[in-house]
Amino acid sequence: MLVKRDLQQLYTKYRLGYLWTIIEPLGMSLVLWFVFTALLGPRKLGLQPYLLFLTIAILPWWWFTKGISSCARAFAKNKRQLRVSLLPTELWVLRILLTTMMEFILSLPVIGLAMLVTRTMPGPLIILYPVAMALQFLLMYGVGLLVASWVIVVPDMGRIVRIVMRALFYLTPVLYSISNIPEHLRQYAALNPLVAPIGLYRIGFWPDEHEALLPFVVSLSLCLITLLVGILVFRRLESRILKEV
Amino acid sequence: MARTQVTRGLGSVVEFEDAGLYLPVRERRRGGGRRQRLRRMAGETVQDKVWQIRDATFSVAEGEAVAIVGYPESGRDILLRLAAGTLLPDAGTVRRSVPVVGMVGVARALNRNYTVRQNVHLLGGLLGMTQEEVIPKVPEIIAFAGLEKQTDKYLGSIPLAVRIRLAWGISMATQARAFAVSQVLVVGDPATREDCWREIERRKADGVAFLVTSDRPSDLLRFCDRAILVDKDHALGDMTVADALARLKTFKRPKAIKQFIDDESSDDADDEFL
Repeated sequence: MLVKRDLQQLYTKYRLGYLWTIIEPLGMSLVLWFVFTALLGPRKLGLQPYLLFLTIAILPWWWFTKGISSCARAFAKNKRQLRVSLLPTELWVLRILLTTMMEFILSLPVIGLAMLVTRTMPGPLIILYPVAMALQFLLMYGVGLLVASWVIVVPDMGRIVRIVMRALFYLTPVLYSISNIPEHLRQYAALNPLVAPIGLYRIGFWPDEHEALLPFVVSLSLCLITLLVGILVFRRLESRILKEV
Repeated sequence: MARTQVTRGLGSVVEFEDAGLYLPVRERRRGGGRRQRLRRMAGETVQDKVWQIRDATFSVAEGEAVAIVGYPESGRDILLRLAAGTLLPDAGTVRRSVPVVGMVGVARALNRNYTVRQNVHLLGGLLGMTQEEVIPKVPEIIAFAGLEKQTDKYLGSIPLAVRIRLAWGISMATQARAFAVSQVLVVGDPATREDCWREIERRKADGVAFLVTSDRPSDLLRFCDRAILVDKDHALGDMTVADALARLKTFKRPKAIKQFIDDESSDDADDEFL
């Protein structure tokens, strides 16, 4: 309820730049698409059509990075409010996640655009798209709480998070498909909790990508474990957070 | 949530039992001899606990105004924040039978980049009101602060004293049954201070409980029923306000604060509330 209002308020700031929420990921996808198809030649990377393949994963990825990196500042930024607030402390993390999610939803037309350009229609499994969003939200809530509380104890975490995010970008099948990974490494790739939601986002267009169920299940359960760990760590550190901000 | 949890069937409004709180303080490692030399050189920090409040045991009943008497930095505000639940005790327990609105730095929580009206909604929400509850009270709050003409102006352009009135108005609009008030009654112009004390008296008669700190002993003497004396890290328990003030004078004053009693709107006080 308050979060909703908070969001509206944030959006009065953003509305001027709504077009940016479209242009930014679109530009990013185009650049990557250009690099990976035109420049690097027709080495089979990802699935076809590549432009669509890219956009569909890069949008949620953006949501993820933006959300998590601002979570690192969640409490510090709102410390004055936190000192008097009678509302649950988690609210500030939740607020960031919801704002970034709204931004993500507003940038979805980019996928429509990519569909138009490549003339691809999704299959019936596209209904899993909201499920993927929900899953990603849960994962982000866990990671967000984890990051937000760690930053209080170890101030260097903010920087570490940035590096980890950069590494994750290449370790996560955003630019490529999980089937591009050599067979013997694939099981390790499944240890990345992001694999599950991203796979779900794509399943509407490429139903056969997730023929291997096992990595998916591993990744899915890791999502849930992360969520749990995030909540537990936050509980332990809540008193610290309140003191130190 | 757990932080501001309310315990039903409590005898009093707020109940402290051996409550304590420490702040972690980081210091560079010293000593430790040869074995620790490398760590010392690397500037490793050692965490230490510095207790701010220890063994605080008291309770506040309905319709009572309890003064927390002590020098600044003695942990008065920490007691208030513990009562409200914006800090969690590291030892003992703090229980409350109704939500307590903590007014430590409320004016600070106002956001300069929002308009006056948005701020009313924001702070009202933070203090536990739903938006439906806030809306009918907006005109009243804004009138109290005297901001009718600037309702949709950004807060940054509004003077400090008025912001304090605004924050006070919002906090009072919550209609909470208990308040933990810090310093409000010191900063701001005398008229505001009078208004605030009157408001407190009215509410007290209604059975609302107050925990108050102030740097003006005369106000505390006039309006409070009991006092908790705080020295360094110890809460010294119940006594009358006059006794507490008399004993306070025997304590050593912290050096940084020179004029404790005469200087009524010092920067310190501003800083604490705003």
